[in-house]
Amino acid sequence: MKRRLGLALLVLAAVCVSWVGAAFAQPIKIGVFEPMTGPNAAGGEMTVEGIELAWEVRSEVLGREVQIIVVDNKSDKVEAANAVSRLIERDQVVAIIGSYGSSLSMAAGDIVKKAQIPTVGCSPTNPLVTLNNDYYFRVCFIDPFQGTVMANYAVNELGAKTAAVIQDVTQDYSVGLAKYFIDAFRRLTGNPNSIVEISSYNTGDQDFTAQLTNVKNKNPDVIFAPGNYGESALLIRQARDLGIDVPFLGGDTWEAPEFLSIGGEAVEGAVFSTHFTAEAPVTPESDRFLEIYRQKYGKEANAFAALGYDAYMLILDVIEKAGSAEPQAIRDGLAKVEGFVGATGIISLDENGDAVKSAVINRVDNGKFVYLTTVEPE
Amino acid sequence: MRDKQRTDLAALLALVCAVVALFLANKYLDDYKIRIINLSGIYVTLGLSMNLINGFTGLFSLGHAGFMAVGAYTVALLTMPISMKEMNFFFQPIVPWLANVEVGFLPALLAAGLISAFLGVLIGAPVLRLRDDYLAIATLGFAEIIRVVFTNTQSLTNGALGLKGIPNYTNIWWSWGVAFITVWFVTSLIRGSYGKAFMAIREDEVAAQAMGINLFKHKVMSFAFASFFAGVAGGLLASLLGTIDPNMFRITLTFNILLIVVLGGLSRITGTVISAVVVTVMMEALRFLDESINLGFIEIKGVPGMRMVVFSIILILVVIVRKAGLMTRLKGRESSYAEN
Repeated sequence: MKRRLGLALLVLAAVCVSWVGAAFAQPIKIGVFEPMTGPNAAGGEMTVEGIELAWEVRSEVLGREVQIIVVDNKSDKVEAANAVSRLIERDQVVAIIGSYGSSLSMAAGDIVKKAQIPTVGCSPTNPLVTLNNDYYFRVCFIDPFQGTVMANYAVNELGAKTAAVIQDVTQDYSVGLAKYFIDAFRRLTGNPNSIVEISSYNTGDQDFTAQLTNVKNKNPDVIFAPGNYGESALLIRQARDLGIDVPFLGGDTWEAPEFLSIGGEAVEGAVFSTHFTAEAPVTPESDRFLEIYRQKYGKEANAFAALGYDAYMLILDVIEKAGSAEPQAIRDGLAKVEGFVGATGIISLDENGDAVKSAVINRVDNGKFVYLTTVEPE
Repeated sequence: MRDKQRTDLAALLALVCAVVALFLANKYLDDYKIRIINLSGIYVTLGLSMNLINGFTGLFSLGHAGFMAVGAYTVALLTMPISMKEMNFFFQPIVPWLANVEVGFLPALLAAGLISAFLGVLIGAPVLRLRDDYLAIATLGFAEIIRVVFTNTQSLTNGALGLKGIPNYTNIWWSWGVAFITVWFVTSLIRGSYGKAFMAIREDEVAAQAMGINLFKHKVMSFAFASFFAGVAGGLLASLLGTIDPNMFRITLTFNILLIVVLGGLSRITGTVISAVVVTVMMEALRFLDESINLGFIEIKGVPGMRMVVFSIILILVVIVRKAGLMTRLKGRESSYAEN
């Protein structure tokens, strides 16, 4: 009898332990889908570096361990949809971070909306990503803001009266930036004819002399040429060879060491907007991020790593404030984010889930990116 | 003859098993697995339609991504709700004749197929006079042209920004229903006189012509049928993903399908079906290779892209093992060159 009672107690205890253990030790799972292979791999890798760093800094919330699960989306829309679906169904994540590349993020949009899993994008700047989707948020500003910032800079700082635009017509962000630059530039100069030339090229093009000859004939004060760093650097080189010596302006994609190595002397003085600079830390969190990044990776941090870091920290902050790691609670918390201090600046999310935050303007000086100024949102 | 009966039986068995399996899958599996099953169905359709041109008719065509793009955009623009169109085209308004159109999935799919087929005829007419590598280059060029046109027609396709909010009509019954119809269609076509003519053209064009086969008519027909199904499959894919952009339809997409066709064996219907499913499932099943593996005492850090390496090795091995099937096909070509 005694023995049976002992056995029963033992079983009971075991059940209790396992039950309590299951409730408390169950880690909070956060999924990450980024392009780790394929044409966007460089950007995806930088972002994941930032996320992993953030996880090392803070891997616990509400007394529970946090686990990040990284899946590769191969820079491919179909794979991106598969990857996100896998995170939700197989890994049962409560929130998702990703992805570098707006089209990849859009492929995940329908799935996270249907499964009601909150998702935070690091650097997808296409306005369509978060539109009509209550579960998609992002910690970066969007193309309309960036394009407007550069138009402001051109008119107010450089005193430009006319501008030419050369866009990469196959890249959504390039087309987006160009469009908003054009609108803002016309508005600021008050002259509907102030954009003297709009030329297009395709990703992978090597020769831009046709576009540049047109631009040269129109004699603009500045040239706005958002595009991939490789093509842009080549374009600027060829422009200098043709004797075009007006300033070149661009977007956040120029912030890559390759831009400097391909462009060499020619890209001196090129000015672009970006999310973050290692040179002028905007918040105390930036200082902290820069230092630990240097310690771990032995190099200067870039904007994509910083955005990945912010996306992770933002989710953890929301979980802590909500006191719950349920997807719905996280979503509601994200919708209310106001003045979150991140490495890339103070982040508030608007009604679309887009970050309202400052942009940084950098210039190439002596083969280095040099911080010029910070532009606050309107 | 006995061979044919055996493949008949195998195909029928596979069909019955597949329907039962699909029914069970739809009932018990989660969204992720159902998504993979959907994709497999779409790739079966794509693989078979490409096999019709490249395998049965012996025309080396690489234009599939282009036809898929046409189908995908047709379905997207026809099924998207009107409010969603307004939201997408915030840059430049959509062309007025498309702004207020919203039709059901079936008519949209049919339209996708028909428009693709029409383009297939349009492209096929001049291009199909070319042979082998020249045809490959011309069709490749066509696919690129489609992509470039879609990138630049902002008010029709929303350009590089892409479209989102395409209703998700695609489910297991749509994707596999179309796949089964394709299997049935291609099988009946190949068994009939048209199929015989296609294969005669593949084996020896001069002899086929001497036998009274209208080369041009049959080549264009094969091309049009294939582009019809490619267009429908593109539409299914668009509806499954809910978002498309021109960059999706690159040459790599065509190569993915070509890989399925070659792996399953040119002119092999069952082979194509099996390889389409295996390739799609494998790409996902091998994902564990990318992850860190925890053996309890030691943790092996995952290398992203590892699954691609393993996948490629498996591919190479399979192709080596299957060499016999491929070689017979190649021999046929060599002899026709020799006679020329």
